[in-house]
Amino acid sequence: MFEDHEIISTIEMVKNENLDVRAVTLGVNLFDCISHDLSVFKKNIRKKILGHASELVETCDAVGEKYGIQVVNKRISISPIALVGACFSADQMVEIAHELNDIAKTVNIDFIGGFSALVEKGMAKGDIALIEALPRALAETQRVCASVNVATTKAGINMDAVYEMSKAIKKAAEMTKDDDGLACAKLCVFSNIPQDMPFMAGAYLGVGVADAVINVGVSGPGVVKRAIERNLSEQRLTLGKVAEIIKRTACKVTRVGELIGREVADNLGIKFGIVDLSLAPTPTVGDSIGEIFQALGLSHIGVPGSTAALAMLNDAVKKGGAFASSHVGGMSGAFIPVSEDLNIANAAHKGYLTVEKLEAMTCVCSVGLDMVPVPGDITVETLAGMMADEMAIGMINAKTTATRIIPVPGKKAGDKVHFGGLLGEAMIMDVPHHDLTDQFVTFGGRIPAPIHSLKN
Amino acid sequence: MNKLIITVLAKDRPGIIAKVTTDLFELGCNLENVNQMILQGQFAGFFIVEAPADQTPEAVEAVLKEKTNGNGLTIHVHQLDTPEAGSGDDAGDPGEIFLITTIGPDQKGLVARFSSIIAAHNGNIVNLKAVFKGGVDPNDNVMSYQVAVTKDMDAPAMFEALREKAKELNLDIRIQHKNIFDAINKI
Repeated sequence: MFEDHEIISTIEMVKNENLDVRAVTLGVNLFDCISHDLSVFKKNIRKKILGHASELVETCDAVGEKYGIQVVNKRISISPIALVGACFSADQMVEIAHELNDIAKTVNIDFIGGFSALVEKGMAKGDIALIEALPRALAETQRVCASVNVATTKAGINMDAVYEMSKAIKKAAEMTKDDDGLACAKLCVFSNIPQDMPFMAGAYLGVGVADAVINVGVSGPGVVKRAIERNLSEQRLTLGKVAEIIKRTACKVTRVGELIGREVADNLGIKFGIVDLSLAPTPTVGDSIGEIFQALGLSHIGVPGSTAALAMLNDAVKKGGAFASSHVGGMSGAFIPVSEDLNIANAAHKGYLTVEKLEAMTCVCSVGLDMVPVPGDITVETLAGMMADEMAIGMINAKTTATRIIPVPGKKAGDKVHFGGLLGEAMIMDVPHHDLTDQFVTFGGRIPAPIHSLKN
Repeated sequence: MNKLIITVLAKDRPGIIAKVTTDLFELGCNLENVNQMILQGQFAGFFIVEAPADQTPEAVEAVLKEKTNGNGLTIHVHQLDTPEAGSGDDAGDPGEIFLITTIGPDQKGLVARFSSIIAAHNGNIVNLKAVFKGGVDPNDNVMSYQVAVTKDMDAPAMFEALREKAKELNLDIRIQHKNIFDAINKI
């Protein structure tokens, strides 16, 4: 028996507040597909992935229909290609990317993630080949996502890899200049990458995970925003109470994700992995992180107070998720991707949100400099410097940080870029002194791991 | 086993349950289940009791009516059928519960139209709440059916027919498995 308000509020969450399951991501381990023969390797990975994923989309749609909650994206994450394809050359890596792209089309998913390398302490042969292959692999395919982990709290920052990734990003942008550097929207550079994340572009299947696993990403910034607005309209609240409301809302949303994820996993005969409750916006009005800041009384995301608000939001989301499920993983926090959130993009365009403030806010958010379009003539050194700064925040604070920066060829600060779909659109953000060629990042080597005592 | 079901209707006021249950106690009846609701100030109560072997429904009804004479209660007593083995509530596929909720303007015959579609597809309504307050707030005009959907039913066809009817009547309809409401509300 449900009370009227329980029925109405549940329906409202789906109907008007954009509650959905953002991604059901099937992780597939590819280590048993390894071969020195490229054609055998490609055949093996096709067989393995299709064996698990052939019913993925239909199953997700059926479960979504049953509960009246749409599973928006169905995706696949795989073991890092730099590991399972370590014996291949860069050209062969590009061929693998094409095969993965084709597999994604065959099973009708929008993205397959795991064209990835883990190089925080050094680059092996397969890592070097993959990084060299990245620009072509991303420019010539539509559905392949790539990630490279260049830093961890325990290993430090591999500055050689940071510099190489900066070059790869510039090259990938140039190869897709007619699409505003779209290839870079499918590439994340990480510090402390989670190995069970369902969200793209950074999803891959870690080496310590089961042979096949279902991970679920739930979103719901609209639900959180409405919960705050509803309560603030009824009473005057302290921020402690607001945090409690966010926490409770996050708990409900996480339970929805786990319910649907477990049923998809059961129906497919695959283990359930984790639910990742991340407030991930879309370019739709009402599905925005930026709007939550406005509900909290800030005129725009990026004004003073924004870092404190984000810290509270991110922490409350994690607490709500942890209470709801014992299998919470991935990022589980708040994303602040510039082009994917109409409200954030507008705040950046109007000057309320600058690159420097965005970097400051990433100290307390769950990702980093995400979907940030920057002038196309940014130097490799400056881009690498931005990435190194972001990696340092993750390394020192023992948290995940990432960059998904898009140098848009031929465009400058204030010009408009349009990536389409969930990737959204934005004005290019100004990066002060973006034409510098400072030597710091060219020294290479590794910034050592931080000390774990004397914390001040 | 001498199970009786007693229904009591009355204008709601304090003391109805106390009066009826006291009388049943004095008749030697053991109360097994009670459920009550109040709709627009009208009380409706259902009492299932284990009665002494020599008590007939007619005798119990007569005593209750006599004891509550003048209190404005309408009382009926019936023998409760014991489900036969392999049939009834305790047997077969209990089905999965779906909540079918419509939101939108009140019109005559809404419940009749939707429940007929559910019945035509062999769906069993296990709970129904309908509130029609009128006015401009759509949430003030809500019907919510909890329907047991068994494996031998053509559930997609029933859902489609309900959606068609809702569209025809300009109502917003949501069809969702009960577990989603549990997940969100029952923490």
